[in-house]
Amino acid sequence: MPKARTKKDEAIEPGSDIVMDEVPTSHQPETRDGMSVDDDDVDEEGGDLEMDENEEEEEEEEDVQRVRILPGSTPTAASFEFLNEGHTLGNALRYIIMKNPDVEFCAYAIPHPSEAKMNVRIQTFEGTTATQALEKGLQDLQELCDVVTDKFVEARDKFKAAA
Amino acid sequence: MPHKPPTKEELERRKIVGINEETITDVASSDYPLHYPGEEHSWDIDAFRRGFSIQFHHNDPFEASFSLIGIDASIANAFRRTMIADIPTLAIETVFINNNTSVIQDEVLSHRLGLIPFKGGHEGLHKFLKWWRKPTDETLVNSSYYDYNTVSLRLEIQCEHNDKAAPGETDPTKLYKHAHVYARDIEFCPVGRQDRYFSGADTIAPVNPDILIAKLRPGQEISLSMHMHKGVGSDHAKFSPVATASYRLMPVINIERPILGADAEKFARCFPRGVIGLKKVTAKEAAQEGSGYEGHEGEVKAVVVDPMRDTVSRECLRHEEFKGKVKLGRRRDHFIYLVESTGQWESDAIFLEAVAHLKKRARDLEKQVVNMVR
Amino acid sequence: MSREEYQIPTGSASASVGGGAGAGAGGSSSYNAPAVRDYTGSGADGGTMYYMCGDCAVRVPLEKGAAIRCQKCGARVLYKERTKRMVQFEAR
Repeated sequence: MPKARTKKDEAIEPGSDIVMDEVPTSHQPETRDGMSVDDDDVDEEGGDLEMDENEEEEEEEEDVQRVRILPGSTPTAASFEFLNEGHTLGNALRYIIMKNPDVEFCAYAIPHPSEAKMNVRIQTFEGTTATQALEKGLQDLQELCDVVTDKFVEARDKFKAAA
Repeated sequence: MPHKPPTKEELERRKIVGINEETITDVASSDYPLHYPGEEHSWDIDAFRRGFSIQFHHNDPFEASFSLIGIDASIANAFRRTMIADIPTLAIETVFINNNTSVIQDEVLSHRLGLIPFKGGHEGLHKFLKWWRKPTDETLVNSSYYDYNTVSLRLEIQCEHNDKAAPGETDPTKLYKHAHVYARDIEFCPVGRQDRYFSGADTIAPVNPDILIAKLRPGQEISLSMHMHKGVGSDHAKFSPVATASYRLMPVINIERPILGADAEKFARCFPRGVIGLKKVTAKEAAQEGSGYEGHEGEVKAVVVDPMRDTVSRECLRHEEFKGKVKLGRRRDHFIYLVESTGQWESDAIFLEAVAHLKKRARDLEKQVVNMVR
Repeated sequence: MSREEYQIPTGSASASVGGGAGAGAGGSSSYNAPAVRDYTGSGADGGTMYYMCGDCAVRVPLEKGAAIRCQKCGARVLYKERTKRMVQFEAR
């Protein structure tokens, strides 16, 4: 039997530093919205606090900047590089940003499949910057997810009740 | 010049992907601002909410089928990809082999153990268990396993002769004891607080206890212990919570000119059962001028009954009799999902988790974009 | 990348690294600590090796320097037993 087994008898308090450090922000249960649809707002506030603390404590994981503007960009025509993103977010974001009437051009590309990098190019008409369009796109995507969740839960409960 | 608003038929036509004998037309969605002059297609959450709906077809615990109507392909695909690759699941990650004298090699046996799907108490799996990170310092690996990030399992089995077997018996399961090693032979060894979350019906157990892991003969032994960790499908397929999640677009069958009599019966045979039904031509229909029904009162005509059952094989486009009479297509914004869970998550929970995960990703990136600008 | 060099127990001067295949998908590394070495069934002095006879499959104890023959059937083909050490694998 490996030595490892004896170590597990140490009880660790949930919420202690060791627990928090081990976990990437994207999977901390405190900020998981999907599990408690009703308490969405409550969870979000609590989750944000937790993440801020972590960003101060841990330099390695949570603080890694995953978005940057590529050189050669102007305020209205910019390319952004996302790390660890692929077609899942790229295509969805592109669609939402294209729905913005102030956006003249929007496209995404993955420079090489071996690297988990995704580039998004946004060109806007005068009046708004590319970064603003990107932010709006991300916000719209979150709103969309909310609507989908609400309708899904509603449809599922209706189906269960009718069954 | 003022633009005319699109007619209802035009709006319907825009939503359909054309399926022809050898080509597919109008694949890409066109509802962007400035694409149609004079029309408003900007993102409006209320317009989206009005036009979006979900219908359930069936909702068994581990297989759910539902339709998302009024959403774009890029979003529907994002949900599908997230379901497959980004939902955390618990699976065997490390195997410590003390003895394996079976004919199955150590690495093959470990690989097979990793692929066995397990189920457990939901609260324990989703809330209590956290992620395990391999420490950068190799020597600290053995002290990084805690009750909240590792689940320990054991498999100890020896094969022996069965003295009580009938003479002349040839079936190895009767001739020997424990000749076949199944997933149900794996024991869960709870540690620390795991007893609270994983006991009784919630215990960590394989979803399918009858999975055959290895075959043994007398004198052979398998003695190993395993550690389970949380992971995601993008890392290794064993962590994917779905035995695939897929969607298809709703098929559309338009019968433009009447198909009557024997043709109608042949037409019905070109599709899976239940898609096309046969109805008699009424006197009223036969009386309509130019409808094509004149003189055919009493004959059967083909009607589309349930296009959802169609698998779009395009068989009807291959026959001369139906040329020009039928148009096939698919609805671009109607996605019929089929989510088949492996047993650790429930199918509807997987979809909700996928949507929540996408939202979380967008939120985290939004924070980063704000940081980037400063 | 081993941090504990494996020493042959009979006290020979050479040090050899114990372990399985390193790189690659099925990576394994021997958990190399003398404290865990399993001496059960190895004979009183802890140095007798057991081998399996090729013909009659009987476990044959063999000392260092002894003649290589099966005690029961006299066959000269003996197979080494599987190691008693724990081997670790990634289930990938």
